[in-house]
Order: sequence, then C-alpha cells, then structure tokens
Amino acid sequence: MSDTKSISLKSILARHEVVLLLVIAVEIVLFSTLGRRFLDSTNVSNIFRHSVEIGLLALAMTPVILTGGIDLSVGSMMGLCAVSFGMLVNEAGLSPMVAGLIAIAIGIAGGGLNALLIARMKLPPLIVTLGTFSLFRGLAEALTRGSKSYSGFSKSFLELGNGEVAGVPTQVWIFLVVAAGVYLLVHHTTFGRSFRAIGYSPEGSRYAGIPVPRNISLTYILAGAISGLAAVILVARLGEARANAGIGYELLAITAVVLGGTSIFGGSGTVCGTLLGYIAVAILGNGLSRITAYQLFDQPIASIARELSGMLTGLLLIVALAVTPLARILATRRSRRQH
Amino acid sequence: MMRKYSREFTVAGALALLFISLGIFAPNFYEAQPLLSRFTSQMPALVAAIGITLVIITRQIDISIGAQFSMCAVVAGIVAAAGMPLGVAVLAAIGTGIVMGAFNGLLVAWLGLPSIVVTLATMVTWNEALRLWQQGRLMPLPDGIQWFGISQAAGQGIVIGASVTLLLAFAWAMKNLATGRYVYATGTDAEAARLAGINPKLTTFGVFVLMGALAGIAAVLNMVQSPQVQPNAGDGLELKVIAAAVVGGVAITGGRGNLWGVLLGLLLLANVNPALTHFHQPPYWERAIQGLVILLAVVADGLRRGKK
Repeated sequence: MSDTKSISLKSILARHEVVLLLVIAVEIVLFSTLGRRFLDSTNVSNIFRHSVEIGLLALAMTPVILTGGIDLSVGSMMGLCAVSFGMLVNEAGLSPMVAGLIAIAIGIAGGGLNALLIARMKLPPLIVTLGTFSLFRGLAEALTRGSKSYSGFSKSFLELGNGEVAGVPTQVWIFLVVAAGVYLLVHHTTFGRSFRAIGYSPEGSRYAGIPVPRNISLTYILAGAISGLAAVILVARLGEARANAGIGYELLAITAVVLGGTSIFGGSGTVCGTLLGYIAVAILGNGLSRITAYQLFDQPIASIARELSGMLTGLLLIVALAVTPLARILATRRSRRQH
Repeated sequence: MMRKYSREFTVAGALALLFISLGIFAPNFYEAQPLLSRFTSQMPALVAAIGITLVIITRQIDISIGAQFSMCAVVAGIVAAAGMPLGVAVLAAIGTGIVMGAFNGLLVAWLGLPSIVVTLATMVTWNEALRLWQQGRLMPLPDGIQWFGISQAAGQGIVIGASVTLLLAFAWAMKNLATGRYVYATGTDAEAARLAGINPKLTTFGVFVLMGALAGIAAVLNMVQSPQVQPNAGDGLELKVIAAAVVGGVAITGGRGNLWGVLLGLLLLANVNPALTHFHQPPYWERAIQGLVILLAVVADGLRRGKK
C-alpha cells in the first residue's frame, strides 16, 4: 500500500515538472510568434535581468515552505536592506562591497528575529512574518523619513545590475550560484533533506533525532540573507535605494514556489520545480510586453502587460493548485460508482 | 472572567493608557469634529474585521479581502454612477462580494486547498483585473451618494450606526446562535465538529461567503464618505484587519477570539497614526509601530500558551 502510494506521489511530482516545462514551451512558442523580437538575445537576457530578485526570493522561500512555514517578510526585508545599503554608501561613505555585506548581515539579523519567534517560541509563522512584514517596511520608511531615496552610486557598482559578464547579465551569474547552492543544500545534504522531513512531520523528525528548531531557524536566516542580496542587486539595477523596494515581491515568490509544485503545507517539493515556476512567471510577464501587434480591450497587449500577466499568474496558480484535488475527487467518485 | 478574557483586558488597558496620555499631553486629540471623522473613517475596516474574525476563528485566512473591497467599491460606484438608487448599489456590492467569497469558499472548503494560497491567488487576480478594467482612474460619483445625500453629521451617524449594529448582531450571534458556535467548533477541531454533526465544509464555505458580503458592505460604507470611488481603495486592508484581529486576541490557530477584542485591536492600531501626530512625532514611524504591536501580541499569546 505504502509502496503504491509513494510511486503515485512520485509520478505526480514528475508530472508536475513536466507540465511546467510544457507551459514554458507553450509560452515560448506563443510569444515568439505573436511578440516582437521575443527571442532576441537582448530580450532573453532582459527576462532574467528584470526578474532575478524574484527568482532569488523564490529560492529563499523554498526551504521555508518545505518545512511547513511561510515568510511574508522577504519583500519588506528587501526594502529595509536597500535603504540601509543606500545610507551606508551615501552617508557613511562605505564602499558598496562592505555596505552590501552589511546589508546581507541586516537580512540575516531580520531572518534571525523571525527564526527566534517561530522556531524557538513556536509562534505561527504566518502571523510572525506578517508582523515583521510591517516592522521591516516601517523601519525602512522611518530611516528614509518616508520619502528620501539614495542614488548616485559608483559606476562599477551599477555594473552589477546593468552589466554583463561573458554575454550574460552579471546578476544572473550570482543567481545561478545561489540556485546551485540552494539545490545542493536541499537535495544533497542531510541538513537540507531534513526540511522536507520536518514539513512532513515535525514530531516524527524530532523522534528521528533532527534538531527541528535549529533547522527551521536556519531556513528563515537563509531567507533573510538572500533577501539582503536581492536588495543589493535591485539597487544596482535601478540605481536607486528607496523604502518601497521589493513591495509585493513576497507574493510573486510564493507564487513561483507553489506553481513549482511545492506543497504549501510543507513536506514535498523541489528546487528545480521552484526554478521552473519562476521561469514560467518571468517569461509570462516579459512575453506579454513584447506583443505590440495585437489588442485586448482596445489597447495593445504590451501596454497592459503588467496587469494581464499578474492576473494570469493568479489564475495559473489557482489552476495549478486545483488540478490535483479535483482529479482525486473525480477519481473517488468514479471508483465509488464502480463498486 | 478576568482570567478568561485577560488578553482582551490587556489590549483595553493599552488603549486606555494611550487615550489617557493623549488626554493629558495632547487634549486637542479630543476635538469633537476631527475625532468623529476619524472614527467614521475606521468603520469600513471594522465591518471587514468582523468578517476576517469569523474566517480566522474557523482556522482559515483571507488575504483577498482588500481586493474584494476594491472590486465591490468599483461595482457599487458604476451602479451608482448609472443613476440607480443607492439601495441597488448596496445590493450590487454585496452580491459581488458574495460571488468572490463563494469562489474562495469553494476552493478552500471543497477542494481542501490552503486558504492562504487560494486567497493570495484570488487577491492578485481581482486586483490586476481591476487595474486592467479601471486603469486606476478615479470614478466621480453623482450627487446624493456622499453622506447619502443628507448632511455630513447625519451621514456619519448612519455609517457608525450601521457598523455598530453589524458588530452587535455578529457578536450576539457568535455567542448565542448554534451557527455561531459551529464557527468556533470548526476552528477548534474540524474532525470533532464533524463527528458532533456539524458540517465543517459548509461552515467554512459560509464563512467565506459572509466575508465577501461584509467586504461589500464595508466598501459601500467607505464609498459614501467621499465624492468619488478609488479603484484601489482596499489596498492593504487585509493586513490592517488581520492585524486588528490578532492584536485583539483572535488565535490564528482557530477556535478562539471575539469581536470586542477585535474592536479594541482595531482602535489601538488605527490610533497609532493620530497619536504620533498629536505627540508631535514624525508619522513615518506608523508602520514600524504597528508591526511591533502585532509581534508583541503574538509573543504575548505564545507566552500565555506556554504557561498553560
């Protein structure tokens, strides 16, 4: 019984990633026929250049969700890290390198606060990170007195967000390194494999000798660190640090993770799925903005691409979620009829 | 009684402290007209908070309520702008809310999908659909909508009266009606509730539908306070009312909480900004302080649970 169950689960997971690949393929075919210069090399690099921060947050969110948690504070954390970085460079005169490291350290500290409240004090992650969601964004607003922004960064720093290395946007290299790191962590270390075990059964993991609070803590701290990194990259791309950096990014990141097949209850999911989910979302947003020849609601699709891609992402998420339980319900109905 | 409601008394204490110190150090906080306006402007959030309280007590969450609120406001605005009487606009808003709530409810109750993701998805979908549809344009309303076409004071009276009536009705129903107790039972232990003859799926579905209807009412109560409809009027409302519920002692793990606590929580959070102004502190600390209040409330819950 348990054997057949694990096989069918596996086949569902395999299918999920295959389905995502199909979605991505359809997107590519559709946008390259309907859109203008969708497959141009500059546009392909732009797809990733403009969405790397969301990809990073999705990677950061994956271990957290695998353990059955959630982190709503990553977008706000980006805001806090971004303005801290801007202040450190502009007002304290630190080099972008040092300021960047401090920004990541601030991310780690913020993640540590989440970890302390969630893993040590056993408070519900949804509400804790809702609180830090307000707190971090609020601190960013307070630091900038609500409106101040920092700019005038050195050219070499802006290269991080706008330059290329070997024909690939600089930040995409960083993203690839982080993705490889998270992949190895989650799938090839004992520590990382405990995430799914914890998400599947915290009690059982404890009996199996897994230091559950410590491991959960580290997922939130890692999420904080990656948010800090994403903030620095965002500042380098925009050339400006503002308190509103990363608003709403947490939702896009969660969408990418869940679209990628990770169960929101924890316990199952893969980093590859997250990457595919992120790519599907990123292509959707960019591809629609390339469609200038066709109209919808009396407007060229390109000019309403943001709204349209947001709406479609939401619908895609609902469909992705509903498919499995719907199939199960229909299957039990059918088997009941047969018996 | 003191022990059972210690959580609510703590919030009441904090609120009383805030009000007393405002009375001593910044008595012009109590000027009647601005105070009344501020109070009225919080009424839509109070109505939405009633809904979210029901949702959280059944151990669910709904983060799409801000989007529902905006959508209902726009629909009501269109109906009103077409020259229909206000009553029709109210019904249209409530109907729109019910449809959106039922959609959430179907996905959560019958497909067993996690409410946090479902409502995240519907939030994004409604918000973007609205942006696509309205392009962020302000929609001017015809005369006779703002303050119901009567004097401002009377209009404020109606808004406050309607909201408080809803609060009283729901507070009574949740305590005294069987249906109200189903909500607590489902949130405490859905399986036990089922064995006791309650239909937890139907209860959950009903709660989401009610949430939608209340979002519609809240949208109308907001609409009548201004001469136009903002298509993003509900932005951030979900966080505001969830925070109010949590601060007011509604357990996110379901089964516990009451509307009086939520009212106190909402008043506490809503007064952070005016209090900062009256204490001559910079207003940009508002969000950070609200975040701290939420964290303090969860930590307090955690410590209390630890003691048991």
